[in-house]
Amino acid sequence: MFSTNKTLIAAAVATLFAGSASAMSGSSDGASGEKINGKYAANYEEIIRAADGKYLDAKVIEAILGKDATYGREGLEGKLDPANPYSFEVEDSIDGGNHGNAQCKIPAAFVEVHDSAKANYYNDSKFVARGFGTPIAESALAKWNIVVDGDGKGLPDASVGMTVEEGAKIYVQFCGMCHGEFGEGAKGYLPLAVDENLITSAFDDPAPMKTVGNYWPYATTLFDYIRRTMPFWTPNAPFIGDKGYMGIVGYILQSNYVKLDENGTEIQDDDFFNSEMLMKANKFMKNQGNFFCDHRPVIHNERCMTNCPDAQVGDGKGDIHHYKQARRLPDGTPQYNVPQRMHEDPPGVGHSGM
Amino acid sequence: MTDQIVEKVAVQTEESRNQGRRAFLKGSAAVAGGVLFTKAASAAEGAGYDPKKAVAPYAGKQELTEVLQDGAARKTLGFGVRKYPYGMPSPFEKEVQRRTLEWLTPDSMASITMTPLQSLHGIITPNGLHFERFHGGVPTINPDEHRLVIHGLVERPLIFTMDDLKRFPSVSRIHFVECPANGAMEWKGVQLNSVQWTHGMMSCVEYTGVRLSDLLKEAGIKPEGKWIIPEGADAAGLTRSIPIDLAMDDCFVAYAQNGEALRREQGYPIRLVVPGCEANMWVKYLRRIQVHDVPAQHREETSKYTELMPDGTAQRFSWYMEPNSVITYPSPDFKMQGPGKYYVRGLAWSGRGKVAHVDVSFDGGKNWKEAHFTSPVLDKAWTRFEVEWEWDGSEAFLMSRVTDETGYVQPPMPQMRTLEGTNNVYHRTAMVTWRVHAWEDGKNGGMIENVQY
Repeated sequence: MFSTNKTLIAAAVATLFAGSASAMSGSSDGASGEKINGKYAANYEEIIRAADGKYLDAKVIEAILGKDATYGREGLEGKLDPANPYSFEVEDSIDGGNHGNAQCKIPAAFVEVHDSAKANYYNDSKFVARGFGTPIAESALAKWNIVVDGDGKGLPDASVGMTVEEGAKIYVQFCGMCHGEFGEGAKGYLPLAVDENLITSAFDDPAPMKTVGNYWPYATTLFDYIRRTMPFWTPNAPFIGDKGYMGIVGYILQSNYVKLDENGTEIQDDDFFNSEMLMKANKFMKNQGNFFCDHRPVIHNERCMTNCPDAQVGDGKGDIHHYKQARRLPDGTPQYNVPQRMHEDPPGVGHSGM
Repeated sequence: MTDQIVEKVAVQTEESRNQGRRAFLKGSAAVAGGVLFTKAASAAEGAGYDPKKAVAPYAGKQELTEVLQDGAARKTLGFGVRKYPYGMPSPFEKEVQRRTLEWLTPDSMASITMTPLQSLHGIITPNGLHFERFHGGVPTINPDEHRLVIHGLVERPLIFTMDDLKRFPSVSRIHFVECPANGAMEWKGVQLNSVQWTHGMMSCVEYTGVRLSDLLKEAGIKPEGKWIIPEGADAAGLTRSIPIDLAMDDCFVAYAQNGEALRREQGYPIRLVVPGCEANMWVKYLRRIQVHDVPAQHREETSKYTELMPDGTAQRFSWYMEPNSVITYPSPDFKMQGPGKYYVRGLAWSGRGKVAHVDVSFDGGKNWKEAHFTSPVLDKAWTRFEVEWEWDGSEAFLMSRVTDETGYVQPPMPQMRTLEGTNNVYHRTAMVTWRVHAWEDGKNGGMIENVQY
């Protein structure tokens, strides 16, 4: 933050815990206004400031949220509640569809950030431009402005497109050599279409491959990204054009079996794929609704110095000799990529990219 | 300096003396007091520096008797000025390099290199060792032709030359920049034996630039403008969505890094600096900032840079880098030199503010010793810690744990794994463990190994 250093108010910390006790014990019979939705201490800012801004301190979080498993410090779901000062989530859906996607914002409890934004922006009534820039017309940005957002704003109009069959030909010509003709991946590049379950049963199972069908929440992202960056060696290519990019997107969505409506209508080879079709598919991306706003910190430990509890020692059960080691080459040298070097594993680290 | 003062200083308690030392560090008038105290104490107690006692640990060690010879450096002239108009490190430092793992990515244009943290000192990364991460190779942009545009939900779309930007009030700040995939290869266990591989996707430099809030306000942000979408001028044309509150907090558009222009690898001529947040948001070769009402939901914030949880759901918009720390010496690139005293050092950092404490454990997390800081403690910057350790030569398990000014305490790996699973890729910020092999452990005696609980 650009603001000056915070000052330590040691005495205030003591007040905090006295105050928090009342906030917590107040429960339902507390005076109105003490809690937000009957769950969270309404005076959270006061509590945080009294604790010298330690908004992620285990005791401070508990003073504000309480401890219970549903909404309190122990629970994660409570953090997806817009009223929760620690929630990154806001209620308004940005696309009106069934995505379950909403905007994420900086949690109210991050008071430092909000104070700083107020000082630098919202409350800066004195600001007048310095005049060092040059005005430019939006129309002058026609070539640069290639952003397509999750609502579909920025997509070409419905007359631009081609049949999925034509799109497939363009895909094979410009994309297939790296991504595979059916999106299965090639040359170490990751696949675009693998229908893998995103849940693994054991921690050391290989990580699932995340592709368009099983992971991407928006179809609009595909058009934005492919037009923006592909083909890799000559991005945003005029010889492909919006029409061709639309066709490629149609083919990739088809390869991922993305549906177009509640009845499970699939994308057909002779469908004319355009922005209208894309926005239909955008509502039926398979993994939509499975994304949630940042829920960290999920861990709020207390700082232990001596004889710490077993849960925080060694393997989490107090055993410091129970550990995993890196594999070694046959000569005993510790190595970083043993399976790859011994050709036991394909190149890559078992997850979709860095 | 009257006797009166000496007397007064001499009766200081241990506590007040420490306060005086802190005051000394802050540059206050207590300097004289501190100096005088030492003098007075030696006079009073007769317990000053004792040269015989000082060298006692060397007793019984064989001394070298061979006459030292002059080397070539002493007997010939060295090279003259401007031999290297842009200076280079000594050839003896040639192993100190950015390195990559060839199996991470299929090509070098969309790849990453790691900073050799094991060879760095203090908190500043030299520009030539700054980690690299590109999605479409490094462009060589002529700054005279480069422009920054701010448009979208603004009253007055504006275009800036690089000279225009340098006319604005400037800000210089030291911040770490960290790829959220730092440590990603260690989710399912260890496979890498160097701090360069486990933590090298980050660097810490001094940036100079223009406050983003100044630039955005210049264009007249409309109230419905809740997000900005910065975009690069390179082949990747990288975009992210950043909420306006974050943009107005402490972001800036940097044109300099460690006192000189940004390097091409780091975004020359300008990049966005989003202190404390994942490096993917720090858009390089910045050419356009679109002010928008909603997040763009682009590839770098949906398909990538989202964290898959054990139940199959995924966390998104995880902007902040959580507090983290690592011991850089001793670490797996070193070997212990025998039982005795060591000064264990490392780096701690937090994306949410200043580092408050670093504790080091030598027994796998059972007991902890607080380290002290040997560098300035700055907001969202590396902080260098050090702690004395008397190694008795037996097997040890070294861990460091940071607590930041928000009160967050860095977790151990088993706890993070239980809550977050191992498929996240990003934001693996739990502690790492260096196993020091016992000195009497055959050819591996004193070896330092990366292990995971």
